[in-house]
Amino acid sequence: MHRLSLARGAASGVAELSPDDARTASRLADLLLEVARSVDRDMAAAFPSRLGGDPQLDALRSLVLEQDRAAFASLREKIDDPQQFAEAISAVLANALALAEARDDRLAAVLAPAMERAAHVAIRKDVGPLVGVLYPLVGPVIRKSIAESLDGTLRRLNQAFKDSFSWRGLKWRLEAYRSGSTYADVVLKHTVVYRVEHLFLIQRESGLLLEHVAAPQAETQDPHMVSGMLTAIQDFVRDSFGNAGDAGRSGIDSLRLGDLLLWCEEGPLALLAAVIRGNPPESLHGVLRETLAGIHQDLRGPLESFNGDSATLGDLTSRLSPCLQQQEQPPDTRLSPWLWAIPLAILVFGGAWLAYRTLISYRVDSYVQALRSEPGVVVTAAERRYGTWHVAGLRDPLSTDPAVLRQKSKLSPEQVVENWEPYEALNPAIVMKRLAATLNPPRGVSLSLAGRTIRAEGSAPEHWVEKARALIAAMPAGAPSIDLSRLKDVQDPDFIRLRDALQAHVITFASSAPRPPVGQDAVLDAIASELSELIRVARGLGFSVRVMIVGHADATGQETSNLALSAARAEVVRSMLKSRGIAPHLLLVRSAGTLEPEQVSSAGQELATNRRVTFTVSTSD
Amino acid sequence: MLQKKVCVLGAFGVGKTTLVRRFVESIFSEAYLTTVGVKIDKKTVRVGSEPVTLVLWDIAGEDAERSVRMNYVRGASGYFLVADGTRAETLDVASSIQGRVTAEVGGLPFLLLINKSDLQESWDIAAGPVESLERSGWGVVRTSAKTGEGVEEAFHELTRRMVS
Repeated sequence: MHRLSLARGAASGVAELSPDDARTASRLADLLLEVARSVDRDMAAAFPSRLGGDPQLDALRSLVLEQDRAAFASLREKIDDPQQFAEAISAVLANALALAEARDDRLAAVLAPAMERAAHVAIRKDVGPLVGVLYPLVGPVIRKSIAESLDGTLRRLNQAFKDSFSWRGLKWRLEAYRSGSTYADVVLKHTVVYRVEHLFLIQRESGLLLEHVAAPQAETQDPHMVSGMLTAIQDFVRDSFGNAGDAGRSGIDSLRLGDLLLWCEEGPLALLAAVIRGNPPESLHGVLRETLAGIHQDLRGPLESFNGDSATLGDLTSRLSPCLQQQEQPPDTRLSPWLWAIPLAILVFGGAWLAYRTLISYRVDSYVQALRSEPGVVVTAAERRYGTWHVAGLRDPLSTDPAVLRQKSKLSPEQVVENWEPYEALNPAIVMKRLAATLNPPRGVSLSLAGRTIRAEGSAPEHWVEKARALIAAMPAGAPSIDLSRLKDVQDPDFIRLRDALQAHVITFASSAPRPPVGQDAVLDAIASELSELIRVARGLGFSVRVMIVGHADATGQETSNLALSAARAEVVRSMLKSRGIAPHLLLVRSAGTLEPEQVSSAGQELATNRRVTFTVSTSD
Repeated sequence: MLQKKVCVLGAFGVGKTTLVRRFVESIFSEAYLTTVGVKIDKKTVRVGSEPVTLVLWDIAGEDAERSVRMNYVRGASGYFLVADGTRAETLDVASSIQGRVTAEVGGLPFLLLINKSDLQESWDIAAGPVESLERSGWGVVRTSAKTGEGVEEAFHELTRRMVS
């Protein structure tokens, strides 16, 4: 607009000029306007040409601009005609794209959306051609991917089966059961323990080592030679077992040597070989693949033109180092349940043992207590030696058997070893037992304890009381006192009657005659019959009787002959009773001579009463 | 550091392995030669002040049944052709191998090593063919695995040719 007003100003502000000058100036302004119109399309539309109708100018124009005009027309025709314009661009398009691509990456950014849309449209329209193109590519890719993942699964499965029937497998099953996870998870956790020890980046064609990185402390031979040999072996495998027609055939991609595993990732220009110890996870394949792909993407040029100088490839160590992965089996910080079970078991067993020991101690205590309170038993020692209780002491044989008390305390002979020395106790109860055992008291006699005194009560025959007295007299000093005062001497009335009747009989003799005079047979018969009756009654009462036949003589004559005469008189009566059926052993004989006269007198009558035989009844058990 | 793949090629029994054995670092057993058909060794050579690591691919010798695996030659920067001075036919084998290598991977620096130079009395290769090969641009070095003659020089010469 500025330039336009200047042109107008130039055209209108010439009034003061001379007419010729004004015309010249007007022409100049028109020319300038024309130039401006030809330059600026908007101006051409806004302002009509003011040069029209000047034949001189037209002639001049056609003269000067004829060639340019033809060229311009031709160009315009090319630009205006789409066909021609397209042809012109198609001739330079490839070069232009190449230049643009070389300059920077804007071209890719600009083209990407359009290409994407185009691909979408093409696929939507007809997917066939795309499938045709992708098919040879997709097939091997999918095959390889499936093969690899199957291989991994099989390897894990194989491992799992191998472990299923081992101690380790059982342990893992238990762990799976305890932790609530699946067995497969547990197997994975334990088997995926590995360390990438070496990485060789190798130029594929020459086998030259591009870079080698190793984990700390990992040992290897010369990496250059290893790299060469690895490539040679790959070539060998490829040649020997690959399909001749398969251009993209691959060599070894996995090789196991005991604990060592070799994984090879092949790219078009380089090979990445990883030497791994242990069982790596499948994901490591991905890491290796991505690393190799990244190296290919960024270093395609240097890799293609690699001439043996590793310096041209820059820092590959930092690119490869992330692949030096390892997973160590995490140290099991949890305490094994067995570690808890052991002290628990010790505690339980210890507790049980302690409880058992305490129980036994308690029982032995109560047993010893019972023994101590038992009359006739003196415990001198009760102690525990080498796990067994030993009880020793003195024991009256009449005291209670310790085995009975031990059984009451629920102790076995193995648990308590006993050693008892016999002794005679003066304990009243034992003494009473002993009395009972020795005297065998008849029915009606009862023994009882009153303090330290043993009291006999009831009725007893005299002979028993006699025996009891004898026994008491033989008791050692310090023995309990025995009171027989309450015993009643109760005899059988028949026995007393018969005894008294027998003892009342006297057989008299003629002077110096050892035999009774005739007529005494009736007396002797009576004596024999009474004696038989007495023996029978006494036997019925539980004892026996004996009869002492005492011969007497009068004071006339010599004493020695009198003694012999009295003995002869007693012997005669004994034999006469014997002949009447009396057992001879019940008949005792004693000669009293003149020592036990009936009457001490020298008168004849009185003397006759001294010539006699008398009877005394004694009892025994 | 510069490294180069170098192949050692020749007929069977010309003494390739013996020739380089004393001059190289080796970790692999010769069993690889009969199984895989190649054995890798290493040799460091100085060209000027720069060390060059030669990764040597000692490739199993060629005989009637087995020809050299050309796959093993790919990526090499140079190679030795080894012939046995006492067996003229090994020179023909070397020549044939050279032709195949050139066809497979193109022209590469190489040296012809005529081995067993210590056995001059049973020498079988005439001077004529060798000279004609030299005239056609072949580098020829006479070597002896027994005395070590010419081996070090051969390594240096081939390295120099590969690096320049």
